[in-house]
Amino acid sequence: MENSGKSGQEIGDADISEKTALNWAGTILAVADLLWIPQAGLIAWPLGLVLSDVTVDSQGANSELPVVLLTCVAGLVMIALIRVYLQILAQGQAQRAARRIQKKARGDLLFAAIARSPAQSFPPSGAFAAHVTDQVDLLGPYYRNYWPQFMRLKLVPLAIVLVTAWFSWLAALILVISGPVIPVFMALIGARAKTASADQQEELARLSGMLLDRIRGLETLVLFGAVGNSRSEIRDAGERFRLGTMRVLKVAFLSSTVLELFSALGIAFSAVYVGFSLLGDIEIGVWGKSLGYAQGLFILLLAPEFFAPLRSFSAAYHDRAAGLAARQKLSEMLDAIDTPAAAVSAVRTAVEPQMHQDKKWLFEAPGISFGNVTIDLAGRKVFDRFNCRIEPGETLLITGRSGCGKTTLLDLVLGFRMPDCGNVLVDGDDISMVADALRRKVMYLGQAPRLFHGSVKANLLKAMPDPSGVQDADIQTALHLAGAQDLVSRLPRGLATQLGEDGFGLSVGEIRRIALARAAMRKEARILIVDEPTAGLDPDTAADVIEGLKILSKERTCLIATHDPAVLEISGRHLDLDIAKTPVAPENVK
Amino acid sequence: MTAVWQFIKSQQRFSRLHFWVGIAVSLLPVAAGILLLGVSGWFITAAALAGLSGAFLNIFAPSAIIRALAIIRTAGRYGERVLTHDATFRFLTDLRNRLFEAYAIEPAKKKRSGTVLNRLTADIDALDSVYLRLVVPIVLAVIVATFLLVVWATVSRAVFTFGLIFIAAWAILAWRSFDNSERNTVRRADAASDAMRLRAADLAGGRRDIAVYGGLGDAADHILTADGRLMEVEEKLEQRSNRLVGLSSLNGQTFLAFMLLVCAWEVADGRLTLAPAVGLVLVVMALPELFSAMLPGLANLPRTELAAERSIAARRKNAGTDGSTAKPEAPSELEDTTDAVLRFESVRFNYPGAARPILDGLSLEIGHGEVVAVAGRSGCGKTTVASLAARLLDADKGTIWLNGTDIRDFSESDLRRSVAVLSQRPYLFNDTIAANLRIANPDAGEAELWEALERSALAERIAQGEEGLQSILGEAGLGLSGGEQRRLALARAFLTRPSLYVLDEMTEGLDENTGAEVLARFLDFRTDQAVLMIAHKDRELDVADRVVRLSGSDTRLP
Repeated sequence: MENSGKSGQEIGDADISEKTALNWAGTILAVADLLWIPQAGLIAWPLGLVLSDVTVDSQGANSELPVVLLTCVAGLVMIALIRVYLQILAQGQAQRAARRIQKKARGDLLFAAIARSPAQSFPPSGAFAAHVTDQVDLLGPYYRNYWPQFMRLKLVPLAIVLVTAWFSWLAALILVISGPVIPVFMALIGARAKTASADQQEELARLSGMLLDRIRGLETLVLFGAVGNSRSEIRDAGERFRLGTMRVLKVAFLSSTVLELFSALGIAFSAVYVGFSLLGDIEIGVWGKSLGYAQGLFILLLAPEFFAPLRSFSAAYHDRAAGLAARQKLSEMLDAIDTPAAAVSAVRTAVEPQMHQDKKWLFEAPGISFGNVTIDLAGRKVFDRFNCRIEPGETLLITGRSGCGKTTLLDLVLGFRMPDCGNVLVDGDDISMVADALRRKVMYLGQAPRLFHGSVKANLLKAMPDPSGVQDADIQTALHLAGAQDLVSRLPRGLATQLGEDGFGLSVGEIRRIALARAAMRKEARILIVDEPTAGLDPDTAADVIEGLKILSKERTCLIATHDPAVLEISGRHLDLDIAKTPVAPENVK
Repeated sequence: MTAVWQFIKSQQRFSRLHFWVGIAVSLLPVAAGILLLGVSGWFITAAALAGLSGAFLNIFAPSAIIRALAIIRTAGRYGERVLTHDATFRFLTDLRNRLFEAYAIEPAKKKRSGTVLNRLTADIDALDSVYLRLVVPIVLAVIVATFLLVVWATVSRAVFTFGLIFIAAWAILAWRSFDNSERNTVRRADAASDAMRLRAADLAGGRRDIAVYGGLGDAADHILTADGRLMEVEEKLEQRSNRLVGLSSLNGQTFLAFMLLVCAWEVADGRLTLAPAVGLVLVVMALPELFSAMLPGLANLPRTELAAERSIAARRKNAGTDGSTAKPEAPSELEDTTDAVLRFESVRFNYPGAARPILDGLSLEIGHGEVVAVAGRSGCGKTTVASLAARLLDADKGTIWLNGTDIRDFSESDLRRSVAVLSQRPYLFNDTIAANLRIANPDAGEAELWEALERSALAERIAQGEEGLQSILGEAGLGLSGGEQRRLALARAFLTRPSLYVLDEMTEGLDENTGAEVLARFLDFRTDQAVLMIAHKDRELDVADRVVRLSGSDTRLP
């Protein structure tokens, strides 16, 4: 957990100002609720006057009655306006606070993600995307619906009991008895329902997961003639889920039924008690003189409002469970990303990286040297005092069995990995100082290149700092160099074809060639870094790519990692890492 | 609106009984709640009057009624919850089945992205609120409003008039809360949330590339910008919903004030006695909750509408393509006279929208026990040949013969028994090992499954796990490496006995050793079955009896 800590606060938590905002929202809601007390008074009082008017049985005994009535109605409407205004105000405030918390949680995840070096492992992209979207979304209802109810629950019932007790301690006692019993019962039933419903939530997730899973794998199902079986499987799973859920819900609904029962009985007993008092059958429960009609009615009007916060609270309880579960999952994801807090805050406060416009290696092929580089990966020394120098404009072809550190060597130049000991120099500049600038001025083709969601053209333009100045001819040249011109012309909408998740599916080889074209867009770059350029390509296409690389490698300092003999045709110095890595004096490395 | 309406109709048709019983039972707690307040008000007023005048009042009947109403409200609430939820779940189960059905009809036409499918799940979730949040509250509101208006009309004209005015105000509010212009707002929210998901997936999956092309910081900023857009839209929708609920509550309280005024007036004028008048006033207290219940559902209607449209469209689009392709255009009456297992005769295929056919005049033949490799540079139509041979696609022109019969004349189940395809990207389901294997042969016994695993050199690995064949694949379960997954897919093939195997770049993406091993194991297992192999690697071409080279659209036999 120490990794996610930023001033000790967990992801998805509310900070002091948000908690204050949410508590204020709850308090305002409580005040709006409590304004019902004067409103109830404004209803009960004139009705009491009407009653005495009727019973006194003297014509026009109370000529002030119409005035009183109209005043009360005006007062009621005025208070109603204030109540509604306060409610809207409080909801808006709670919703804003909840949005701030969501935004912050997204930021936490994203900054942790970008602070982690690309050379290090990362959670699966689908899971990460689901956390950034769905799980963060679940925090919203928890904060905006559940939190303010808490404050309301603390203030409103207490105030109503006190006001009721002013007139009749017995009526207050009826509320006190039926009120607090509710949470006890709810806790008893809810405890069982909660675990069961959590299971059921998981089950629902599994069910929709299963449907998606079967639709994704539909081609496989069709090819094995297994669609019919899956159909009945989905039907059975759905039916099982329905029955299971209903079993759980029946228990869960019991808790709200208990609430309902006590609130209905509370109102009923208040009514019966008040009725009997007014009849004169009951004389207890009051302070001294017997209960008047207006007071009795007032007590009855207050009773439903005593239970209202309890009901809202239990209605929002589900949001709480979902929100807490989401917060737990977010913090697990953050742990899985595992970025040290210092690195995260460094990214957060990062200023625009220095561009090093004056560096010579931005315009001329630089020399790159590794001096006594040691890299320790999980206890295994991939490089131990490794020395190597690449002359300006030289092409270095790196071979070696898999796992010998070819990719690590490229990562060192790109600044994705820093040496534990020793240094990597680009024209004498330490890589840790210039990596940001270098990454913007390098032709790079990774081992498993990824194209991003968007059109082919948008993907190619990602290579350019300023896409507006790019000519169509530049794009065609880059595509040609990568042997991708034909491939793009065959796509349904050419350069405008949407790629990635939502778009046209390309094969591994096609992705690699478009990625090479993306690299070739940076024609002013003086460094070329390529990792396994022909993996997954057929021999003809591989030959095209190698031709392109031959052209691109001219006048550039190149590092090409490969285990394909065909790539070694490119003229350059051959470095077998298996041999070169054994710690020897630099002059022995040829 | 039409899509939601259609959706409601289909839910009603799906189970009329549950649909209407749910609504009928929902009426109980609502009616009991309203009457509880009304009768209580009447009772204490009558009691007060009796207490003052000393007149006789039957106290036991009303107090019994009050307690009975309290219990009916409670029991009714419970019954209502159970029944309406049950009705919804029944329908959603059915909806899921039908969606799968719709997708199952035309599986291979297009690639489905994760986004579309995620949206589909979200849509199903959104639709579960239609009955609970929309149908039930609106029907209840209409029934209760009608009943109240009838009662008010019998009481007094003034009460009826005011009641009508305030109920009409609620109706207008309900009408206003459904605002079609919000559709675009909702679309923007969906688009922003999709963008966020896609970009987050890109950020997690392509971090090296992003770091070089565009920068990680920019990528994070883009996601936060999408988040900003989403939040802006949500704020707008929330504010609107706050206003609507506020107005409804205001309407309810104003109604209460005016009811008080009118009732007092009528009592003073002698048109109404006091006790029922107080009952009428208290009834109004219970109304805001009832009428406000339909507002969130209505305000959310544009979103629900989009969800309903998409789910209906998904069903219809897939059902529609069924009609056009289910029947072969011209079932051949001829018989293939050659002895070939698979024979392509002058086959042409043109992808919809592509300028020229990817295959034109392709003829090839594979005899019993023969291994034929199809080679050529990527994009020349190799995979199309595999799809045609597996009848995932139908040729535009020419005929494909399988064991002497036009492939279009096969029934689906016969075809699948005759041809087994090992594809480039075999799909492993998030299910047990046994279930994943039985996709190939549902009747296979445990011993056969183990044998197939043995052949694909996985038996030991699977036996290590505590659950054995019952281990679940996927994130939480048994994690197989890429090579192991491919071997598991190969094990499926060992459970089938087809006359033709189609291997579509079976070893693509596997390292040298694993690829060679997978291929060797497969060839070991094969007996006299014919093999059509889509290949680009030398080791695959080496094992073939013959190689057919495709070169773009002018395809000929070598």
